[in-house]
Amino acid sequence: MKHLLAVLLITALPQAIRAQAISQRGFVEGIGAYFPQDAPNDSVNVTGDLLVREELVVKPASWIQFAAGGDFRANSHDQVDNSWRVDFSDRGRLRPALSVRRLSATISKGGLTLDAGKQFIRWGRTDIVTPTDWFAPRDFLNVMDNEFLPVTGIRAGVRFGVDTIEAAWDRFTPSRTPLVNQRWVVPPPGPPVAFTALDPTFPQGSQAGIRWNHAGSRLEYAFAFFDGFNHLPNIDVLPTFRPGEVAIQPHYPSLRSYGGDAAVPTPWFTIKVESAYFTSTTPRSDEYVLYVVQLERQSGEWSFIGGYAGEHVTQNRALLTFAPDRGLTRAIVGRASYTVDVNRSVAFEAAVRQNGDGEYLKVEYSQARGAHWRATLGGALIRGEPDDFIGQYSRNSHVTLALRYSF
Amino acid sequence: MNPVSYLVFLVFFVSSRYAGLEIGVAAENARQIVEESQRRTDAKSQRYEGLLQVFDAKGKISDKRWNIDRLGSHGDSKVVLRFTAPAEVKGVALLIVNHTDRASDQWMWTPATERDRRIALQDRETRFFGTDFSFEDLEERDVNQYEYSLLGDEAVDGVACWKIQSAPKQSKSSQYSRSHVWIRKDNYALARVENFLKDQVVRRLVYSDLANIQGIWTARTLEMSDLRRGSRTRLSLEKLQYNVPMKDEDFTLQAIRRQ
Repeated sequence: MKHLLAVLLITALPQAIRAQAISQRGFVEGIGAYFPQDAPNDSVNVTGDLLVREELVVKPASWIQFAAGGDFRANSHDQVDNSWRVDFSDRGRLRPALSVRRLSATISKGGLTLDAGKQFIRWGRTDIVTPTDWFAPRDFLNVMDNEFLPVTGIRAGVRFGVDTIEAAWDRFTPSRTPLVNQRWVVPPPGPPVAFTALDPTFPQGSQAGIRWNHAGSRLEYAFAFFDGFNHLPNIDVLPTFRPGEVAIQPHYPSLRSYGGDAAVPTPWFTIKVESAYFTSTTPRSDEYVLYVVQLERQSGEWSFIGGYAGEHVTQNRALLTFAPDRGLTRAIVGRASYTVDVNRSVAFEAAVRQNGDGEYLKVEYSQARGAHWRATLGGALIRGEPDDFIGQYSRNSHVTLALRYSF
Repeated sequence: MNPVSYLVFLVFFVSSRYAGLEIGVAAENARQIVEESQRRTDAKSQRYEGLLQVFDAKGKISDKRWNIDRLGSHGDSKVVLRFTAPAEVKGVALLIVNHTDRASDQWMWTPATERDRRIALQDRETRFFGTDFSFEDLEERDVNQYEYSLLGDEAVDGVACWKIQSAPKQSKSSQYSRSHVWIRKDNYALARVENFLKDQVVRRLVYSDLANIQGIWTARTLEMSDLRRGSRTRLSLEKLQYNVPMKDEDFTLQAIRRQ
């Protein structure tokens, strides 16, 4: 499919150039991070990242559009696979140095919209925790500052007035999990243990989902169904022949989910709720319900989001998982931002587990200069107990400085 | 009508299809004046490229560019606004569905998060992308959503105008308690709008660079001042066209995801 899309895009270029229907955006960004504390398995305190991103949209006719985008990355802490190949699948443990971020065609005719290729599919309505956002794996090499990964598939939407039925089918893309020899994998207390990462077992077959969305004036709601695989892994810990070393093998359980979300705007605040029930036929996989209730309010230049993310486990079968979505539940979560002026903003994000065993606070100040430059100073303070999902990262509080040139 | 809302798509607010004709309605009747001003700006659609320049008390600090397509007019319309510059906001889009009987519905699409977000009613007084226009100022409202009274005659920049007070009806939610609107007597174009919170003028919108475009008198420069902050935002309308063929399907949540 990727070759076909690339050929179509190149073929469409001359006509789009004549119609002046090409748009481009991109940026170069350098990020430095400082971790004041050593981690048991990672004594590197300063890391640097470089990201160059370019995206191109070609629209040869009003009913069709092609999008292509790519990333170039470099990293000082061995988080990037430096082999010079263009990665399309996003299945590696490391971030690829060169990757296709987007390569898709969009056809729209009347109420029908069809997107095919590598793209982003985002479902759900709530923030911080989004239980029905099943087609949105993430890169968790840094658990606190993660980003979404694209998926390869087809999405079709049919609109009937204010209602839309959307179906999606894609090839499984896993979330990128933290590296075993770095600080976002926390070894258990006790004698030092060395980890060896085994190649993950990827599920065969594809996954699909359907969502009915109603966007009315006084109420928005959606119902969604998903049948596929969890992009967050269960983890098997296996013995090796070397003393003091264990092997870690991720595998991705089947997942079927039934969910919904709603937003009710009121004169005082907007109420948003989202919930999903997860089942699995994979042995040693939990079945559970995730739910979020949040309120949003804008007051002058302040924007507030606050709510509660909850979890109810109906079948407790898993031994070890990497599940940041569940790790942020049973918690009060909040986000606030303040627009200082057209160039400057401040943002805060926090989560506090209801049992008090884990909490984090993220702060970010961002300032633009001219038409191209933006500097962002950020920090994350993490506290808690070692057996809590958030608290285990208590040695990973950090400060970041990002400088971006957009073009 | 809330004249303030006439800022952005405002072009037609500022216009008269029959420039130079003397007024044929009862000039003393404020509502009739506003209706005539609205009638003269009717268009099936509108398209322009906008340059937004934000100035603080010390001078210019930021430029932004956007494209606007509007299908329909005067309260029964849909608008897609899409930023084209600077690069970091390129692709951000706003869909506005205006209604004649209630506040508009607004959604914003942000490419960086790949999600749309509804702009809630209480968000409407928020400044739009740090400019001096609020989200409510981007709405287009119908004449029937306001009560009017004629305050008298007053010249703006030497041009004779009617000075009219508009106040939102109870069914209409607005951050402003009332507005004063100056409408030119020669062509029914808007000349100035002052918006009040209680008894204080908080925002002033000045229309200038008037031109007759396809028979519609249109102000090509609008300058909104936030009197509390001491900042101002100038909107310049470029490549303005009326009655451009447009499709309803391009004014949906699915459509604003596309470029």
